[in-house]
Amino acid sequence: MKSDESRLNNRLSLGFKLGIAVSLALVIIGLIILLSISGAKNIQPLVRLEQIPAAIVISVGILILLLTPIIQVIVAIVLFSKARNKLFIGISVAVFCFAAISLVIALI
Amino acid sequence: MTLLNELNFGLNLWALGGTGLVAGLLGSALGIGGGPIIVPMLTLALRLPIQVAIGSSLVAIVANACTATGMYTKARLTNVKLGLLLETATIPGAIIGGLAVAFIAPSILSALFGLVLLYVAYTMVVRRHLISEDGLSADNSFTPDNTPNSLSGSLANSYYDQNLGKVVTYKVTHMPAGLGAGFFAGVLSSLLGIGGGVIKVPVMHLVMGLPMKAAIATSAFMIAITTTVGALIYHYYGYIYPFIVAPLVIGVVIGARVGVELTQRAGGILLRRIFGVFLFLVALLMFLKTANLI
Repeated sequence: MKSDESRLNNRLSLGFKLGIAVSLALVIIGLIILLSISGAKNIQPLVRLEQIPAAIVISVGILILLLTPIIQVIVAIVLFSKARNKLFIGISVAVFCFAAISLVIALI
Repeated sequence: MTLLNELNFGLNLWALGGTGLVAGLLGSALGIGGGPIIVPMLTLALRLPIQVAIGSSLVAIVANACTATGMYTKARLTNVKLGLLLETATIPGAIIGGLAVAFIAPSILSALFGLVLLYVAYTMVVRRHLISEDGLSADNSFTPDNTPNSLSGSLANSYYDQNLGKVVTYKVTHMPAGLGAGFFAGVLSSLLGIGGGVIKVPVMHLVMGLPMKAAIATSAFMIAITTTVGALIYHYYGYIYPFIVAPLVIGVVIGARVGVELTQRAGGILLRRIFGVFLFLVALLMFLKTANLI
């Protein structure tokens, strides 16, 4: 039981760290591209034509960041399934479904 | 003025990065996300439109909560099962809060919420006798041998406390109250645009019996899930601007790493007092907002 607990903690920790590392790397790369194109003093919130590559790289990084917690809930469902912990499979699935429902309600 | 006109100005990347750094440090150290710091800074100091400020803040909070959770989970401070269980009440609360915005005056709610925060802050700072340094009341510690084979038993947890130099074990009590508070936190986070950490952390610590550090870590895990939904919605509506968010995220991740280290080394009572002072400040902001002074 405790090894299942350790596996859950280790996998989630790794997943969160990996998600942050990849998204942070992309955000930094995008910012470097932006600074090399525009310099530090010519940056506005709105993206100009020559800044589009930098904006794309940063946006992909942000998207990976935003998907990281959702992916970890899915990882938790898989790990609880492997451990045959029916109660927490149900709870994790409920969390995933509630998150999906709130997203749908907000977008319609 | 249209949103496009409001965004026609030069960005101060250092100011954005600095805001993220402070928010990351405090947000991860106290398990509150960082929204109460980022939104006022972006709107009042950097003059960003409120929708853009909230959207940027939500992304920064996700970055903060993910960084903190990665570190807290590795250190066994996060009670993952409890976090998931409470999320089943928090997310529906957030949905209902979002739908109720049209029917409830936010100013009245802000004032009431401010009063609740004042009481919780008083409890956290002044009432020292309630809980000992490691955050456990006398009847809330347990040994693995007497763990009941039930939901309460599967939610019981333990971690190594660097400050105390020993393994702290605890069980989770008053689950219905926790679920109710989680629901309430979800409703308020949607109605008032705040992270639920200011409610979740005190309830988990004072009512459900979690040590302060475990409450902070579990709150961060929950905030990561709840805030992601809001951030994706703002992303969909186009309120997230990559050049505003990029320096914020970098600052937040650096600040969050430092904040987590501080939490792991700090004493439980010190964390409670800092959290209490923070709650006083948030309550004050709520009253000022109610009086339309900010």
